[in-house]
Amino acid sequence: MDILELFAWAAGMALVGAIVFGLLGLVSGTDETATIAPITLLVILLGVAPVGVFAFFMAAISAKHITHAIPTTLLGIPGDTLAAPLLRDAQLLRELGVPHIALRKAISGGVIAAIIAVPVAVLFAWILTPFSDAIGAVAPWLFLAAAALIAVVSKGRWRALVALVPFVLLIVALRDGSTAILGTPLSISFFLGIATGPLILDLFLASTPRGRARMRRDAPRVFELAADSRTWSGRMPNPLQVLDGRQAASTAGAAVVSSATFVFSPVAMTVLMGEAFAGRIKNGYRRLTSMMAIKNGTTESTYIAETLIPLIAIGLPLSPTAAGPANPLFNAPPVYTIDAEAGTTNNLHDMLEPWQFLVFGLLAVIVAVLLTYPFAMTQAHRAASWIMRKVSHEAVIGAFAGLIAVICLYEGGLVALGVAIVVGLAGGALNRLVKMHTGVQFMGFYVAVLTVPAVLALLG
Amino acid sequence: MTQPPPAATTTESRLLEVWGDTVDQRHLVLSIVLGVGLGAPVFLGTSWLLGMTDVAEGLQRSYALLAGIAACLIAAVIAARLFGPKRTVEIGAETAGSRQEAMDAIEAEIGPLGDPDELPARLLAEVRALGLYDDLAAQHRRRTEAEGAA
Repeated sequence: MDILELFAWAAGMALVGAIVFGLLGLVSGTDETATIAPITLLVILLGVAPVGVFAFFMAAISAKHITHAIPTTLLGIPGDTLAAPLLRDAQLLRELGVPHIALRKAISGGVIAAIIAVPVAVLFAWILTPFSDAIGAVAPWLFLAAAALIAVVSKGRWRALVALVPFVLLIVALRDGSTAILGTPLSISFFLGIATGPLILDLFLASTPRGRARMRRDAPRVFELAADSRTWSGRMPNPLQVLDGRQAASTAGAAVVSSATFVFSPVAMTVLMGEAFAGRIKNGYRRLTSMMAIKNGTTESTYIAETLIPLIAIGLPLSPTAAGPANPLFNAPPVYTIDAEAGTTNNLHDMLEPWQFLVFGLLAVIVAVLLTYPFAMTQAHRAASWIMRKVSHEAVIGAFAGLIAVICLYEGGLVALGVAIVVGLAGGALNRLVKMHTGVQFMGFYVAVLTVPAVLALLG
Repeated sequence: MTQPPPAATTTESRLLEVWGDTVDQRHLVLSIVLGVGLGAPVFLGTSWLLGMTDVAEGLQRSYALLAGIAACLIAAVIAARLFGPKRTVEIGAETAGSRQEAMDAIEAEIGPLGDPDELPARLLAEVRALGLYDDLAAQHRRRTEAEGAA
């Protein structure tokens, strides 16, 4: 295949990936693994050239993690699994009347991080591979320390830390129980339960007379949507003008750090990077807007690095993203295969050169950004105002309840649905009673999944 | 969150505050019935129908999922047509009060919003352009006075 043909495949498939997943990003709750993996598999099985498959995937993840910020910020419901850690900050900015600013900060952070992450990941693929085992070995203890730290610095302080113990035990019990029944562990259902805990608790309370009496209002709630403001000059929005210097620098820093730690869960890294780079900002407005940029930037950089590093350096799906949404790039029999016994691979790792990962990865990310970013930036205020005037909260909650049901049934039938509801009720109650926010709960999930088995291994 | 409603009003108002916004309780129940009632059966029905075809097993689940998601979207469109929003939206209006309530609620959750004058130049210009500056300054003043009095 000559160079022109390679570029044509890459650009064409990047365009397709960006359009399909740019649109799918608008649909709340469309989990990445559940949507990107099967459609990528379809593209592979249809016989698209390797470079086209790679560009399709890279454009798909970049575009989805731009547009997923639209429902998250404007409607206040998570666009997908990685949007869940942004939800609370986004809801607060929406209450302040600046949902469009939350959106612009989030996607500007996403653009900066996505473009940085590609070259950084290629570089780290080259440097880090020898150390990946060591990083994996200390991960359980890092997550325990991080969970405790995030709990203590949260508004719940020591109460949130103490509440982590029963919460982690609940997760362990539910995970073991559901794994015993289903044969495979659940994860999307846990994330959905944690992210929507406050909603699930509210709905539960609304079904009781006493809860209803407390939630009763005499008048509709008043939202003040702030005036539209264009914080960039020229026709094309410029992410470096939308963020202030420190926000852009922190987003870039978080993108570099989260690209290096490619063995960690993207959701956990999103929470961690937000706390690490913006958690100590005193001014509330500045902290919330910085959180949006840094966290959404991390959703891009983790996905990109966790795909590129294992693809370039190893050829085996050795990261949470590679094992999930990117799995077909490694293993899609009969086209791409991994022979576990012989230890050989025949997948994108063998079919593309390192420079091709860099050049076509960057090309795909830029196509995705050019397609989604200007549109979301310029239409943010109009969309926010239309949604607030036309779309009722009932319709949003109803559709979201349906999505929770569908996605849980998809992951593990009624067992998964039960898990999501129990986790949601417990998480929602802890959120309200001891101010243990969803970020702490997400870390609690990783303590249950990673640290608890490590502790048991030490004891046993 | 703001006015604890006396029991007498419960006969008139059907408005509840759920997940940060006001809803009509009957419309809420109907919307959820619509969302779950359309999404779940479409997902299960599509899996069942595809199970009888020779579509690859991994893809069957994915197609069923996409069908279920589409059904939820249709449910949202129907619910949005049937039930209008129960919120009052003021766009760019200079009204004191609504934002003060919101700011009090936010500060109760995450701590002080802070003094807008300490923001770096670009963010300061941003809050001014948004019309947030005066509200943030007033909130900061109220807070420092309240803390001074305590």
